[in-house]
Amino acid sequence: MRRTMFGLLAAVGAMSSGGLLVSATVEAHHAIQAEFDTKKTEEITGVLTRFAMINPHVRWYFEETKPDGTKVEWQFTASGPGAMRDAGLARIFKPGVTYKVAFAPAHSGAKVGRLRTMTFPDGRTVTMYHEDPTKSDVKVE
Amino acid sequence: MTRRLSSSSVWLFVAVLGMALPSLPDAQTPGPTPRTAAGQPDLSGVWVNRGGGGGGGREYRPDEKGNVYANSSFRPCHPGSECRPAANSERDAGIRQRMAGTTYNVPLYKPEYWARVQDLDVNGNKYDLSARCYPSGVPRIGAPSKIVQSATEVVFLYEGDNRFRVIPTDGRPHDPDRAQGVSWDGEPSGRWEGDTLVIESVGFTDESWLGWPGYFHTNNMRVVERVRREGDVLIWQATVHDPEILMEPWEMPAVRRRLNPDPRARLLEDPPCDEQDLAHMATRERG
Repeated sequence: MRRTMFGLLAAVGAMSSGGLLVSATVEAHHAIQAEFDTKKTEEITGVLTRFAMINPHVRWYFEETKPDGTKVEWQFTASGPGAMRDAGLARIFKPGVTYKVAFAPAHSGAKVGRLRTMTFPDGRTVTMYHEDPTKSDVKVE
Repeated sequence: MTRRLSSSSVWLFVAVLGMALPSLPDAQTPGPTPRTAAGQPDLSGVWVNRGGGGGGGREYRPDEKGNVYANSSFRPCHPGSECRPAANSERDAGIRQRMAGTTYNVPLYKPEYWARVQDLDVNGNKYDLSARCYPSGVPRIGAPSKIVQSATEVVFLYEGDNRFRVIPTDGRPHDPDRAQGVSWDGEPSGRWEGDTLVIESVGFTDESWLGWPGYFHTNNMRVVERVRREGDVLIWQATVHDPEILMEPWEMPAVRRRLNPDPRARLLEDPPCDEQDLAHMATRERG
C-alpha cells in the first residue's frame, strides 16, 4: 500500500490482500447501454449528499442548484465497488463538497447518469468510465 | 462489423452446438498436497482466480497532475498483449455469456422448455433474481473463495455476497424435511471418495438460475460437486441433475483456483446490494 497524491492508500493489487481480482458480484452486472446513452455527455455542478459503496454499482447522490434557485436531485452510478477499492477511492468523495460531474445521461430522461469524470474543487479529476469498445489497438497497461 | 444477432437465434445456435470442448491441461507441475491427520487432502486455504483480465487488479495511480483514470474494460485482455477487438464489447460480452465462456458447454434442456429458456434470457433484466440482489445460489456461485476444513466438516466461504456453506463430510443421508426445502444453497452432504470430496445437495428453491442465459431449474435438482486439491491448485466441478427438464445431467466445466500463499490473506467484505438501475432500463439489453 502506498500514499497517492490524493493522500490516500492505493491498493497495490487485490492479490496481496487475498481478495479476488474481479468485482465479487459479477452476475448482477447490468448492460450500460440498456440504461444510458453512451454517445452523449452532459455536465452538472452540484453538492454531493451521499456516496454509497454498494453492489452492483456504486452510487453518488447530488443536489444541483439551478440559477433560478430550484434544486434538482441527481444520481450517478459507476462500476462495481471492487474497482473503487482497487483504485483507492473508497473515502475520497465527501458529502457537502461541490463537484462537477460529466456523465452519460439516462435514456429515460430521469435525472440519473453513468459517471464519466468527476472534477474536485481543486481541479483534479477522477475518471471512472470504460474504454472505447471499438478501439482494437489498445494495449493493456 | 455490427451485425446484430437476436437472442433467440443465438440461443438456438448454442443449443444445436451443445458439445463440450476438451479443457486445456494445467501447465503447472503440482507440488505436494498437504494432508490432514485423517489422511485426506487438506482443502483449507484462500483460493483465488489465476490471472484476471478485464480491468481487475490494476493499479490506478494519479498522473503528474493528480488525475486518476480508472476505466474498465469489457473485452478479454491478457496482461502484456492486446485486448481482443470488438465492435461493441458489451454486446459481445452478452453473447459470450450465452456460450458459457470458451468451452461451449451449456445445459441441454428438453425441447419443450427451449421457449421458456429463451423468454427468461431475453427478459433477464426482469426475471433474473441475481440482478435484484438475490443470491446466486448453488452451483451458479461457483468455487469457494476460502475453505476451512475440520475433521467433520468443510466450510466454504464466498467473498461474493459474504456467503458461507457448512458441509458435513461424514456422508450422512439428507434430512428428509430439509430435502423438501427451498433454499438457495441447498442441503449438502459430503463424503470422501479417495482424494476427492464429493458433495451432494438437494432441497433447492426453483427461483435461482444455473447461469445467466435463463437457465432455470426445478425444486428437484440435485447438484453433485467434486472438489480436489493438487498441490496448490483447487479444482471444483459441479454436475446438475434435473431429469424433469434436462436431456442429460449438465457437467459444468471444472474451475481451477490457486492458493493464495500470503498468510495474511483475507476475504474482503462484499458491500451491501441495493439495486437501483432496473427502474431506468430502456431496453432489454444485457451485457
